[in-house]
Amino acid sequence: MTPQWDPEKPIYLQLYQQVITRILDGNIKEGEALPSVRKVAAEYQLNPITISKAYQMLQDEQIVEKQRGKGLFVMPGAQDLMLDRERESFLSHQWPEILTQISRLKLSAEQLLSVNVNNQVEG
Amino acid sequence: MMSSLISISNLNKAYGSKKVLSGVNLSLNAGQIVGLVGPNGAGKTTCLQAILGLTDFDGDISVLGHHPRKDRVKMLNDVAYISDVAILPKWLKVSQALSYMQDIHPNFAIEKAQAFLAKTNIAANDKVKALSKGMVAQLHLALILAIDAKVLILDEPTLGLDILTRRQFYNHLLEDFYTEEKCIIVTTHQIEEIEHILTDVAFIQQGKIVLAQSTDDIKERFNLVAVSNEQVAQADELQPLFKNSMMGLTTMLFDNQDKETLQNLGKVTVPSLADVFVGIMNKETC
Repeated sequence: MTPQWDPEKPIYLQLYQQVITRILDGNIKEGEALPSVRKVAAEYQLNPITISKAYQMLQDEQIVEKQRGKGLFVMPGAQDLMLDRERESFLSHQWPEILTQISRLKLSAEQLLSVNVNNQVEG
Repeated sequence: MMSSLISISNLNKAYGSKKVLSGVNLSLNAGQIVGLVGPNGAGKTTCLQAILGLTDFDGDISVLGHHPRKDRVKMLNDVAYISDVAILPKWLKVSQALSYMQDIHPNFAIEKAQAFLAKTNIAANDKVKALSKGMVAQLHLALILAIDAKVLILDEPTLGLDILTRRQFYNHLLEDFYTEEKCIIVTTHQIEEIEHILTDVAFIQQGKIVLAQSTDDIKERFNLVAVSNEQVAQADELQPLFKNSMMGLTTMLFDNQDKETLQNLGKVTVPSLADVFVGIMNKETC
């Protein structure tokens, strides 16, 4: 299947993020191989350069490593590394924005928590 | 430095007094998948025919260092082509098509074609007349994949095929043919379907290349803005390429305008290649 890409962001970044999310969620495990560039290109109907760019970023950030002749593999410790990094990113970027919005809407802690509880009950 | 596999400069072509191509300049590099896109009659096929040495032309074309007319035989060792009117003889068996290619083409690797066909529903004993349209397209692809060409030229390769077969065609092209040393030129009317496959596009209109750029740069360069009625006059001053009013908002396409300026006019989005194509084509004709 071909994913629905957000036209506002470069696809290679979305692909990169997809790999990160799948490592975080445990869909791709440490030590596992990523599919080859041509496999992803064919499956997602993307030009291979887009995929190479995303894979290069993952390599540069030492999330995956190249094993000669065999392709790219998720590095040991990648999941913890990602977890630390995504937490840090959430706390420094998304969370302040959410806090601003919460105070703008004058929401109390009780109101926010009650939403959580309701969702859990429904879910 | 990327190596240029095809370079075209000042290509002109006329049929009698009718000019079909005027002043076409294009340079195609290894690794590129280039979409040659234009309305019917814009000169796409003529341009491809000139590259393939199938027609006379004025100007300079070099394909892998060869002149398409003078060194045609040498050039065709490394160039493959699927034409929208490609017709294999109906009485031909698949196995005969393969052995014929093996006899005439020095770079044809029959086992590659056989390996590819083994993944399809096409049998060696089938005659062309027994194959569906999609299977014929696959047979073509098997024949050209086995040539291991450096340059592949596809003229409406998926015309008349259903969506599954079109998807499968590009699937095989990307998985079994493409490498970074090769270059693919493709013409198609289904630009939405292959927009993410293309690394570059060239828009052609009335024999002229009106835009030739990487798809990444095009996404940077063009913007769509949804402008409210109050701001249309102000936005008009920035000379949109194209505008379309609908349900109280006017969507305008801008080329190379400052993003901040545009954001003050309305919601800015990135256009699809089809949006840019429609915008540019309509601009040139009004």
